[in-house]
Amino acid sequence: MIDRPHSGGRAEPTHLLCSAARLGDQIDIYTDASPQRNQCQLSRRKRSRCTQLRGADPEVGDACGQSDERGGGWSLSSCGGPAILARLTVTAEQEGENLSGLSNNPDKEIFVVRDNGTTCLMVEFAVRFIVPFDVLALNGIDLITENAYLALPRGADIEGKCGEQEAQISISWRDNAYTLRIYFVKETRNKGEKIWKVNKVLFVYDSSEQTHFLNPYNPGKHTASSHSLSALVTPAGRSYVCSAKQTLTLISSDHQKGVTVAMSDIQIQPFDISSDFVFSEAYKCITDQREQLEETLPLILGFILGLIIVITLAVYHFHLKLTVVNQPQLPRDRSMYKNM
Amino acid sequence: MARMGFQAATDEEGLGFAACDDLDYDHRQGLQMDIMKSDDMSGGDLGEGSGEGGMGGGEDGMLAGDSHYQRDGTGPPISGSKASCLGDEGKSPKITAWEAGWNVTNAIQGMFVLGLPYAILHGGYLGLFLIIFAAVVCCYTGKILIACLYEDDEDGQLVRVRDSYVDIANACCQPRFPSLGGHIVNVAQIIELVMTCILYVVVSGNLMYNSFPNLPISQKAWAIVATAALLPCAFLKNLKSVSKFSLLCTIAHFVINILVIAYCLSRARDWAWDKVKFYIDVKKFPISIGIIVFSYTSQIFLPSLEGNMQKPSEFHCMMNWTHIAACVLKGLFALVAYLTWADATKEVITDNLPSTIRAVVNIFLVAKALLSYPLPFFAAVEVLEKSFFCERERTWFPDCYGGDGRLKSWGLSLRCGLVVFTLLMAIYVPHFALLMGLTGSLTGAGLCFLLPSLFHLKLLWRKLLWHHVFFDVAIFVIGGICAISGFIHSMEGLVEAYTYGIED
Repeated sequence: MIDRPHSGGRAEPTHLLCSAARLGDQIDIYTDASPQRNQCQLSRRKRSRCTQLRGADPEVGDACGQSDERGGGWSLSSCGGPAILARLTVTAEQEGENLSGLSNNPDKEIFVVRDNGTTCLMVEFAVRFIVPFDVLALNGIDLITENAYLALPRGADIEGKCGEQEAQISISWRDNAYTLRIYFVKETRNKGEKIWKVNKVLFVYDSSEQTHFLNPYNPGKHTASSHSLSALVTPAGRSYVCSAKQTLTLISSDHQKGVTVAMSDIQIQPFDISSDFVFSEAYKCITDQREQLEETLPLILGFILGLIIVITLAVYHFHLKLTVVNQPQLPRDRSMYKNM
Repeated sequence: MARMGFQAATDEEGLGFAACDDLDYDHRQGLQMDIMKSDDMSGGDLGEGSGEGGMGGGEDGMLAGDSHYQRDGTGPPISGSKASCLGDEGKSPKITAWEAGWNVTNAIQGMFVLGLPYAILHGGYLGLFLIIFAAVVCCYTGKILIACLYEDDEDGQLVRVRDSYVDIANACCQPRFPSLGGHIVNVAQIIELVMTCILYVVVSGNLMYNSFPNLPISQKAWAIVATAALLPCAFLKNLKSVSKFSLLCTIAHFVINILVIAYCLSRARDWAWDKVKFYIDVKKFPISIGIIVFSYTSQIFLPSLEGNMQKPSEFHCMMNWTHIAACVLKGLFALVAYLTWADATKEVITDNLPSTIRAVVNIFLVAKALLSYPLPFFAAVEVLEKSFFCERERTWFPDCYGGDGRLKSWGLSLRCGLVVFTLLMAIYVPHFALLMGLTGSLTGAGLCFLLPSLFHLKLLWRKLLWHHVFFDVAIFVIGGICAISGFIHSMEGLVEAYTYGIED
């Protein structure tokens, strides 16, 4: 379901929710929904149960539908209105059908920034953080560094700003205890080619938050940011796609500790989105390109080997034909001398 | 040869053309009478691969046979009706004892030497003892197998009546099932040889992939490259050219041994002599038994090697020396490598080496794998051609060799097909090493321990002394135990690998 922006200027974040009226109701979840004009093309409809409602911490599957704000209720309509790209996820708590086969990464989520009724920034990835923090040792004097492992949850709050040359997206969760901010910028390189890239990443975390940080020595809000970053370089007008893991290290304000941000299954486009919720042409990262090369190389080599074999056989065949050696007929009697 | 003899006769004696022709004609007529007479006698032939069969070849055999006259010192040459159909007219050159030695070394000092320190890790002194014991046993079974090829004729002289492993098997099942034994041995031989070839392709692909992880070339791509390098093997004609490859392979093997042993010696101060155990790790050692025992398998190649030797009397000497050298080198390698790394010894010793030496050793290992390929490939081609593509023996398909003894082009395409087949199996069969352990424990044990002792007992029963009988029975029993244990463990390993989907 999508929040329609109330005012025209500010880009409203979108939420992806289950839309049945009551918890436990059977709903239809549509996967692989793609927008075609104002119609949804729905495929793979599955029955499931509504497990979350808006307001709680939603970790639900995506749906194609339209918000219906009459009376503040939400309903899942079959089609109509802007649609979003949907990917289904499964959480362990979900009853009903197990739909895990439809998504290969349960952490992946799509975050969309909309402006004036059109999408201007789309980010889809699965992010994990490794945050080091200090803990008092058993002797009461020394400090040990422990690691906290976090993942970007689904349904986090989104804020974003789109522009012609710059864009940013800010994702926060747990009541702003954690915030991830990514800054995009467009550039023109020396040879005149236009590219866009990520030039800053900021991660704000509160180490007094109990669920991930156990007995921190100096709890409080810390900011980890990148220094002179130039990542995810993509030609302008295209989206960046990478299934391999991309890792960034941010330096924290907490004693310069290094926070690791690992993003996988990425598809990002911060500029030049032509139509709603549709990624432009994909630009694969180097690792993916290499994997593609690795897969096509055996076929090419096998084909070359086959060619070599065929050529060798043909050459040998003609060699035999052309150099036919007459069997030396040993003379059995004198009359056969003339043949020698 | 007849032609050369003719010309030589002309030049030396200065006889007139006509007179020589008469002499030659008479000579040949006389020889032909001999041939026809001897065809009626039961029996032997002058050895496969020397290209007898047909008049020209028969004469060659006769003329040249004066020097090959004495096989084991006696007996008139009897040209056989059961002549080889490989290369009718051309006479393939005989190999020296040294070349036979390289071939045997190629077969017994294989890639599995890298797993020997791991075997010592789990077996301690028993592993070392097994290395020595297996060498002795395999040397003995090789010799008794060759002894099965010979029979006493009326004069009490030893004559080579049988030509190959298949012939021995057929002779053993003679009265009731004249060809059953031959079929079984044929199938076992083909499986063993083809699996060995595939293993070499797999190993070279694996080694290259691990040596260059930064290149975008996967293991399958490397296997294809290795096969392209091995394609010239399809043109191998005789054992002499194969022996050259085996010589290079042995050199590569020695270099690898020297490199690793030298590195271990350089760390001689840290050797852990006290870590060599007397007890064995019952779970892991049986696999090591398999590696140690089945690495000495050369019996498949012995009949054709011995048949192609210039002086077959040197065969026993050659066997002794190759097995002693293999035993000493393997034992030294295993012991020294284990002492250097003790408990940290990995399954393949190259994983323990520092990266520079490992890179060099890997390159030599790849060279060794590629150079080891021609021998089993040639043997497999020989076995296949003899069983399926020999007109003389009424097989299903026509002859691979044309009238002039040269390989026909579709014979060449079959050989290329075999090379491609080994490539396809290397790429698409998962867990190949485990599969190889499974078939190796059946066919390898059968061909190396069970069948030679069985055939020796059956064919030469009357001539055996009691200690020969005792050895044969003991080897049969031990071989049977090794085969069963190897089979069970390989099955367990395979089942586990498939259940857990372990990546190769």
